[in-house]
Amino acid sequence: MSRFKDALVLLLAGGVGSRLNILVKRRAKPAVPFAGIYRIIDFSLSNVMNSGLSKVGVLTQYKPLSLMSHIGNGEAWDLTGRSRGVKILPPRTGETESDWYKGTADAVRRNLDFLTDNPAREVIILSGDHIYQMDFDAMLEYHRSKKADVTVGMMVVPKSQIHQFGAGIIDNRNRIIGWEEKPKEPKTNLASMGIYVFDYQYLMACLMRDKNDLDFGMHILPNGIANDNVFAYPFYGYWRDVGTIQAYWEANMDVISPESGISPQKWQIRTNVEAEGRPADRAPTRFGTQTMVKGSLISAGSDIRGTVINSVLSPGVVVEEGATVRDSILLTDCVVKKDSVVDLSILDKRVTVGTGSTIGAGDGHDTVNIVAPSHLYSGITLIGKGARIPEGVSIGRNCVVDTKVDEGQFQGSSLADGESILLAEK
Amino acid sequence: MLRPTTLAMILAGGRVDELNALTYYRPKSAVPFGGFGRVIDFALSNLMNSGIEQVAILSQYRSYSLINHIGTGAAWDMIGRYRRISVLPPFLGTEATDWYRGSADAVFKNLDFVEYHRPEEILILSGDHIYKMDYQEMINYHHEKDADLTIAFIKVSREEASRFGVAVINDEDGERGGKIEGYWEKPEEPSSDWVSLTVMCFRPEVLYKALRQNQQEHSFEFGKDIIPMLVEEGYRVYGYKFCGYWGYTRTVEEYWQSNMDLLGEQPAIDMEKWGLRTNLEHRGIRDFQPAHMGQAARISNSLIYNGCVIDGEVTNSIIFPGVIVRKGTVIENSVLFFNNDIGEHCRLNKVVADVNNTYESNVVIGAEPGSTAHKVTVIGWNNRIPLQTRIEEGATVYPNLPQTKWPAIVKYGEVLR
Repeated sequence: MSRFKDALVLLLAGGVGSRLNILVKRRAKPAVPFAGIYRIIDFSLSNVMNSGLSKVGVLTQYKPLSLMSHIGNGEAWDLTGRSRGVKILPPRTGETESDWYKGTADAVRRNLDFLTDNPAREVIILSGDHIYQMDFDAMLEYHRSKKADVTVGMMVVPKSQIHQFGAGIIDNRNRIIGWEEKPKEPKTNLASMGIYVFDYQYLMACLMRDKNDLDFGMHILPNGIANDNVFAYPFYGYWRDVGTIQAYWEANMDVISPESGISPQKWQIRTNVEAEGRPADRAPTRFGTQTMVKGSLISAGSDIRGTVINSVLSPGVVVEEGATVRDSILLTDCVVKKDSVVDLSILDKRVTVGTGSTIGAGDGHDTVNIVAPSHLYSGITLIGKGARIPEGVSIGRNCVVDTKVDEGQFQGSSLADGESILLAEK
Repeated sequence: MLRPTTLAMILAGGRVDELNALTYYRPKSAVPFGGFGRVIDFALSNLMNSGIEQVAILSQYRSYSLINHIGTGAAWDMIGRYRRISVLPPFLGTEATDWYRGSADAVFKNLDFVEYHRPEEILILSGDHIYKMDYQEMINYHHEKDADLTIAFIKVSREEASRFGVAVINDEDGERGGKIEGYWEKPEEPSSDWVSLTVMCFRPEVLYKALRQNQQEHSFEFGKDIIPMLVEEGYRVYGYKFCGYWGYTRTVEEYWQSNMDLLGEQPAIDMEKWGLRTNLEHRGIRDFQPAHMGQAARISNSLIYNGCVIDGEVTNSIIFPGVIVRKGTVIENSVLFFNNDIGEHCRLNKVVADVNNTYESNVVIGAEPGSTAHKVTVIGWNNRIPLQTRIEEGATVYPNLPQTKWPAIVKYGEVLR
């Protein structure tokens, strides 16, 4: 048991993560499946569990259903018991203002009653969007030893990426003395990981000071840095914001290569093995006699008869005879029929690829997606949940096939690089 | 919800000597099976799929592994107002008859538990068999015939029949079953090829009476004593004919064969399609990440669960969670339980290996390289097999051997203890 168990955890899990395109059409970013059997939020929740913390509020907002059912009563992360618990905190209708959260600080402020009901010495604020392993117990200890008002988890990132983050300038005691939120021309390469330890009283005071301080990175932190004690807690391990299709694909591929530094099992990451309220049991994966499987992660319940190279397969994926899956991510219960090819693609749950079809055909990796050029530009093709790809079709690079598209909605036998098949929202 | 009418009792106490090193620390029903579960998962999944959720397990020998495996019963959805798995270990009686003296004695000693549930039928079954059966169909037949006892039978060859309980069933209902005209436990000259699966459905009053009567005798077994007695006394005893797969696991060779039956193009039982349930909390198998296949992996006709790391060759084998197969190693026709860690350039042919064994490099177990083993080699748990050890086929290695015990060669059929 942690010596610091009186810290309260707030997990911000409301982000849309819209750059994940159709992967977040029906679920929030923290609920996006990752590395075969996990969801993104499992990493934050497991870090909380492994740090011995036991009181968690999860702030949800966007499409929270699959997230809520995944968290359940928190039992998977040992968050049930007399003094342990996880509470889902959805947005509530305010008296006058519009109901949606306007920023991270606004979200926490609107759950002030949860803070008041759960007095603690510190409040740890986390994002549910990241893939990493971190011991918050050590961070709390650091926070206390520095007598900080706020401690921010920070790591060095390449200068080319710093524009996506809050960036801090520190002195030789790791005290943050300058701050730029998403700087275009950075003066530093030290980025905020969106992990904050706040002194409880200090946080309450910050939140009550000015209602227009809507965001931690934009308002609360710069203010604190100017007037109070804000420290950086340096982090040196594997950490990824898998907020883009490219980053999501790369992080999944990292799990295959042991030298990348990510290992969910060694990190003791847990997931909720219940789905639809029942244990999601799967038998061992069945490998046929003509298989070739290399450099891949294969989850239980799959049935592999063909070739799988450098890919991540979730439970229950079927790869029939003569089919090839390469450099791809296939989520639960996808079926790749005979003699078809899936190359550099992400298939959401329950996609069926008809006999002899190709997903990710040709060399047009540079032809960006026409509808979403900033989402799909490196050659990855994306197939939505439950889509049914007919027999004998060819789908190019950087394509999107929408959720639940069926055979009848295909025209012709090919989809050119960068094209999409999107259904009108009902 | 209506109060359920069926009470199921699973006989899971036996050690079964022939399974040897595998049942040194656990009852047979808790022996791992099929790449992720235990033998008893088949009976429990059958019950769950038959909608029978009021279950008691009679355990005796080294119950810990079994109790641990059952957990809360949630894995089989047997947790709720009328849904429960109760484990009934032996207890000290007022007289000095502490241990269960046989299967019938075990149920007799728990008659208070049985009567408390006021069942309309009592299903008594063995937790040791591999099969897929809808008990509800048999219960329906039991009621249709207004039977006192209905027993499931399967057809085997006449030579094999003498190892089991054998019945002559009349052809009252053809393919479905009929009245039992005679019953013999393990007869030398079987007069029928229908043998008992040890799945019995009793009318409660008849069971209570028979068990009380049996207490006067000196032997307390359903097969040997209760069934012949009821048939002889003219009770309505019926045979229900089962025609599915029945995996029998009394000997190591049979245990191995029943595992192998899960492989191939036409597996005897497709566990994934059927939805076999096990307790994912037991040994923490839920916490294993997906299996990792390295660049040198070659896999053919095998079952492999999460948590394995395969960088060698695996053929015709069943690999439980957490097994590591390193480069240059070849695994053939083998069943490797949880967390076997196999070094480089090893060769395992027709091996059944219990949990937590470590193999240093160049260990060869089973047949000579290039040939196929005929006999199963058994490795007990928690052993560390030294560099270049040769274990010839048919050998048995006991659990927990100290490092000093290891010879360079364990000979054909030798028992190393």
